[in-house]
Amino acid sequence: MFETSETKLRAVRYVGIISAVGDRMMVAKGGLTGLDNASRSFPIDSWGLDDLIVQRATATLNGRFQVQPVTYNRAAFAAVKDSVMTPVNLVRGDPFAKLLRTEVSPRGLDAYIVITKAKANIGGASGKIEGVGLITYATVVESYSRIFTLYEIRVIDGRTFDVIEKMAAAPLDDTAQVRLPGPSRPTDGSVSINTGDGRDESLRRAVIDLIVRSLPTTLNDMHLAPVR
Amino acid sequence: MSPGTQVFICSARIALRRVVLAASLAAFGAIVRSAAASGQTAFTLPAPPFQLPFLPSPLGNWTLTIGVGGEYGPDFEGANRNELSPVPIFSVHRAGAVEQFRGPRDGASISLIDFGDLQAGLAGKFISPRTASSSSELSGLGDVNAAFEVGGFIQYFPVDWFRLRNETRQGFGGHHGVVSDFSADFIVPVARGFTVSAGPRFTWESSNAVSPYFGIDAAQAAASGLSVFDAKGGPHAAGAGAQVTYRIDPHWEVHSYVEYERLLGDAANSPLVTVRGSANQTTVGVGASYSFDFKIR
Repeated sequence: MFETSETKLRAVRYVGIISAVGDRMMVAKGGLTGLDNASRSFPIDSWGLDDLIVQRATATLNGRFQVQPVTYNRAAFAAVKDSVMTPVNLVRGDPFAKLLRTEVSPRGLDAYIVITKAKANIGGASGKIEGVGLITYATVVESYSRIFTLYEIRVIDGRTFDVIEKMAAAPLDDTAQVRLPGPSRPTDGSVSINTGDGRDESLRRAVIDLIVRSLPTTLNDMHLAPVR
Repeated sequence: MSPGTQVFICSARIALRRVVLAASLAAFGAIVRSAAASGQTAFTLPAPPFQLPFLPSPLGNWTLTIGVGGEYGPDFEGANRNELSPVPIFSVHRAGAVEQFRGPRDGASISLIDFGDLQAGLAGKFISPRTASSSSELSGLGDVNAAFEVGGFIQYFPVDWFRLRNETRQGFGGHHGVVSDFSADFIVPVARGFTVSAGPRFTWESSNAVSPYFGIDAAQAAASGLSVFDAKGGPHAAGAGAQVTYRIDPHWEVHSYVEYERLLGDAANSPLVTVRGSANQTTVGVGASYSFDFKIR
């Protein structure tokens, strides 16, 4: 019961990596909004973010673990939602561990690294943002936007389906005036906010940059990367 | 409050805490100076040697906020004299987590139901003891013990810039009544890091909540020279408040607020207020805080 994650990880050799982060891009508003402040989203499957994440994570983990290719129902992992009853989220079993039993092949690896969307409360009526997206804050004198990639990583035991470790990707630095609880960066002039069709190359590049910079750090902080 | 986020804000009026706070500021000063320059986490703590089931993992980046403020407000509820009290500021939360708007009068609270724009959960407040020796106006009225008020809250944001909130709490200790605070706040982000908020307030209290502070029995009347008064519950106070917060840079934030309320009903009619105090109650506060990140891995 009180075994450390480090102890549990010592027995892990074969792992599979699952990523369900990059199916849609969320566009949200905050601050001095109009009455309609609902967020919207558009598909970004064509960006191949989940393949990129698996590829990068594999490169980081190789040397400590033997990463095995796995097939999985990405939509099922992407569709998991938190309960509005906050305590329920604490006491119910991990929903991703349950999905591992039915939606992943092959089974029986020592552990699975599951990378899914993280959520963040942005205050007020705008509620929560999650996964990949762009948020625009409006104030009396200016508007400004940030691109974000909020994700969390679980290490789940492949036999007991217990969550060995879980961690959300952290902000890349603490020097921004406005922050989000995960990798984010301000938009520059090259990013169009209103594209809405997933064909904006500069937006895709900005998201990939956030993933590429944050993923090795997060895996390293979880003690999953080989010690160099 | 989302799972994994732990926020603790406390305030007190004792000098000992001021000393502890000053020592903490000094201790952290050297650490955070280098961190601020580099933009990295100030320090890294090792993960705890075991993990408890059902509790979120502590791994990751956290933000520690420390600061100090001052509050200039009534000596006691109904007083016409004000006093200055130090207010320590201390909070720990997930790095980058956006803190919900918080009014100066809000009690400590934690959400159990969270729809994003609608939240409800537990709320609590500590009411300082009232000692007769602390003020000549209270002479002969005896002491009122400290009270703990425990209950629930519900708040709704129809839009990002407007909040409706109610806290209803049952008292224990100094009083055993029910207190219900209503507030509305317009929250206007003027510029990046600069927010102004303001709105009306209203408080209803039951007889058991009003009586210990504003009722005067025969013995107290004889000792104080005030007339006997049976304080009943009902509308207790109405007023307005305003708050300004300004984030100077990613680390420093300053804030200021003013809260005015006029006592109503038997609180306003009590001889303690009509003879020796005032129904007009104004509180002004200022504060500054410093935030920096640390990591648990």
